[in-house]
Amino acid sequence: MLKRFDFWTLVMIGTWGILLLLLFIPVGSILLSSFFDNTGTATLDNYLRFFAEPRFQRAFLNTMVVGFGGLVGALLLGSIMAFCISRFEIAGSRFVSLLAILALVSPPFIGAYSWIVLFGAGGVVRAWLRDFGITMPPIYGLGGILIVFALKFYPFVYLMVSGALSNVNRSLEEAAEGLGLTPWQRTFKISFPMVFPALTAGGLLALIQSIADFGTPRLLGRGYNVLATEAYTLYSAEVGSNMSMATTISVVLIVVSMIFVLLQRFMSRRNVYHGNMINKPAKIRLKGWRNGLAHFAVYFIGLCGAMPVIISIIYSFRRTSGPVFQDGFALQSYERILFNLGDVVRNSLTFSASAVVMIVIVGTIVGVLVARRTTLNTSLLDGAFMIPYVMPGIVIGIAYIAAFNTGPIVLTGTATIIVLSIFIRRLPYTVRTTSSALRQISPSLEEAAVSLGYSPLQAFLRITVPLIVPGIIAGGMLSFVTAINELSSSLVLYVGSTITMPVRIYLLILDGDFGTAAAMSTILLVLSGIAVYIAFRLMGRNEQALL
Amino acid sequence: MAYLTVSDGVKQFSSFRALNGVSIAVERGEFFTLLGPSGCGKTTLLRAIAGFNDLTSGTITLDGQDLRAMPPHKRDIGMVFQDYAVFPHLSVFDNVAFGLKPRKVPAPEVKTRVAEALAAVHLQALAERLPAAMSGGQQQRIGLARAMVINPRLLLMDEPLSNLDAKLRIELREEIRDIQKRVDIATIYVTHDQEEALAISDRICVMSAGHIEQIGTPQEIYGNPQTLFVANFVGTLNTLRAGEGRDRLLAGLRLVAPNAAHWTVRPERLRLAAQGDTTAPAAAVLPGRISKYTYLGREAHVQVETDAGTLVVQIANPGTRTASQPGDAVAVVMEAGALMAFDADGKRLPLEG
Repeated sequence: MLKRFDFWTLVMIGTWGILLLLLFIPVGSILLSSFFDNTGTATLDNYLRFFAEPRFQRAFLNTMVVGFGGLVGALLLGSIMAFCISRFEIAGSRFVSLLAILALVSPPFIGAYSWIVLFGAGGVVRAWLRDFGITMPPIYGLGGILIVFALKFYPFVYLMVSGALSNVNRSLEEAAEGLGLTPWQRTFKISFPMVFPALTAGGLLALIQSIADFGTPRLLGRGYNVLATEAYTLYSAEVGSNMSMATTISVVLIVVSMIFVLLQRFMSRRNVYHGNMINKPAKIRLKGWRNGLAHFAVYFIGLCGAMPVIISIIYSFRRTSGPVFQDGFALQSYERILFNLGDVVRNSLTFSASAVVMIVIVGTIVGVLVARRTTLNTSLLDGAFMIPYVMPGIVIGIAYIAAFNTGPIVLTGTATIIVLSIFIRRLPYTVRTTSSALRQISPSLEEAAVSLGYSPLQAFLRITVPLIVPGIIAGGMLSFVTAINELSSSLVLYVGSTITMPVRIYLLILDGDFGTAAAMSTILLVLSGIAVYIAFRLMGRNEQALL
Repeated sequence: MAYLTVSDGVKQFSSFRALNGVSIAVERGEFFTLLGPSGCGKTTLLRAIAGFNDLTSGTITLDGQDLRAMPPHKRDIGMVFQDYAVFPHLSVFDNVAFGLKPRKVPAPEVKTRVAEALAAVHLQALAERLPAAMSGGQQQRIGLARAMVINPRLLLMDEPLSNLDAKLRIELREEIRDIQKRVDIATIYVTHDQEEALAISDRICVMSAGHIEQIGTPQEIYGNPQTLFVANFVGTLNTLRAGEGRDRLLAGLRLVAPNAAHWTVRPERLRLAAQGDTTAPAAAVLPGRISKYTYLGREAHVQVETDAGTLVVQIANPGTRTASQPGDAVAVVMEAGALMAFDADGKRLPLEG
């Protein structure tokens, strides 16, 4: 067995080492911390308190409400859009898709802020309506959170479902038509089961993101607290910071997310259909009011979803005096960033770039391992990579503080801890895309190279690597988008010198400096846009890769 | 000793035995085909020769050399794949030149050799194109040129034509045969298509369930099958129904084989005659009724119900004559020499008389 102790064995050991250090120890730390009180005595009190105190019960309930509210909203908007775009001829449908991508890559909680600009206490639209004698309540509270979640997360459902819908073989629906089913029955008995896995997968993403989201309830909630905000409050309180309660909430958040992931897998376990592309569905050209309605629905959803982006771009160019907006346009906000906040932009770029480089290198090697050596060990590895996928950012942040604040490795306050937290969250994505890309390359390609006189390693480097590299770089670009937009874990982990753009934007909004926040959001958006553009250039316009 | 030999090849997978003591010997320049249904072990044997899956036990030698001791990339064996395995990121030229690089062939020679190989498969006009958008037939030509250009010691082909449509399959198999004869290279060809095997091979090795049924020339395999499996797999076969009708027929033909369990005859060895017509002396006439008539253009199959079971009679060149109608009374003419007998284990029995 000694000859099996080769390069891949080392990779396997290294991978488990990385997972141990960056995942199991932090998760173990919060688990451990949740079973101790502040004086260091082992206890179940934290959990008892969690389930007994009305404050936490309410936060738990609120989390479920925003989670399922976000899920329902995203499902509704996403499936309407997916259905209209994949089944009807919509003028400018590529533009609408672009709006969805814009909503997806827009900086977090900028959505919340922009809706405050429009519908908040001093909101532009509310003020305008008041001139006509119409009073509407401000957007704060549950309703606002749900609107923002629906509009922010509908692209998950849209992209998943439209992909599935355009893969449903038209012959199936024609066969059903031939058997005498009405259009209504056809939709529910044939098309719906076919897209069901995509619906649940998209819905799951929306649900998990809604539960994990920290910025939106923080800015819009006005007392509507969820678990993510409670965890942050408990952790960050200047006086009476309660780490063990914060970790308890983190554990609950992980468990809840895990349950939903398993539930989704269970629900769609039998519904794996392989569409063939022989008979693609045709798009119908609607007439009259139906056509108008379909166009209205699609553009309304698309534009509302992209509204935060539009608002922040406009406001970034508005003239300001201090934090107060004036009439007219100027570049003051950008000047402020250039002269005072350049280090923040630099931080974001270096942190994200270093994380992405690590993600690409490690993720590719591990992806090859998982795809090429299918053993119990690699299946376990594949499973372990699910954990960071469901961990809310705020929980990663708290877990890293719990693990690396004292003890043999102290990382708190360093740039390393922020880079590592981004690295572990995004690593699973690259591992999965690499391994699935590899599984699509026929093994006979490498065998052909071997038969022509190349050693197995040479064959891998000369044939397989060039074939998967564009996909890997594209995946790296998309990881960059996630990395540079990461707020919640950085918010827990940052110190003055390691502040990043999303954290700065969040603080600027809290300070009321909306102009600078909008300008910085615009910069963030441009950087994300460049990364998405490069990714699409390399692998074709594959919107589903954004998920 | 033959050029390539496999002796007592055994391949044991965790749950089943894919090869069960297989021995073959292939001569220089020979076109040798492994023929059998899927799962018979033919591809396993080919991949063991290529080196992609080692045998569990047994020996493989090429030109006296022990192949199993050699890593696959040092064996100098060209291979053509069922899924073409054309490198999608390389141009046609670079695909074909790929195997010349590790052989350190100087650049000008690479040019001429690749050009020759491409000309041999009629692809010289497409040398600079990328293969992705090409048809299956063109891609397999690239695969063929790529495997030939390195002048390998042995050429292996794993069902190279099975993903192509029928017309192209015939066209390309003729080309493969011509090129192989021209460069005179020992070739092992795997297929499940019996017609392809008959058309292309010097010798055929029929396999089933991990063992060899029969090795022989196409004429021997088709005309003189040694087992019931071979007779059934290569070509079509009528089996006489056991019973009084068969006994009477065999007695009439004066055929005796005490251990015979199966009596068979090929459809093209039967004739139809008008009732009462007895021409050949060593022939028997079986009266019957037509139950089905299948017209195929250059031939027709007439299914006749007789005392000795249902027999299919193949009529060559049926022309534009009107079809016989089901229910018509006919007589099937059967010569003694056309019948083949097999024992209960499926082994061919010699016939006297």
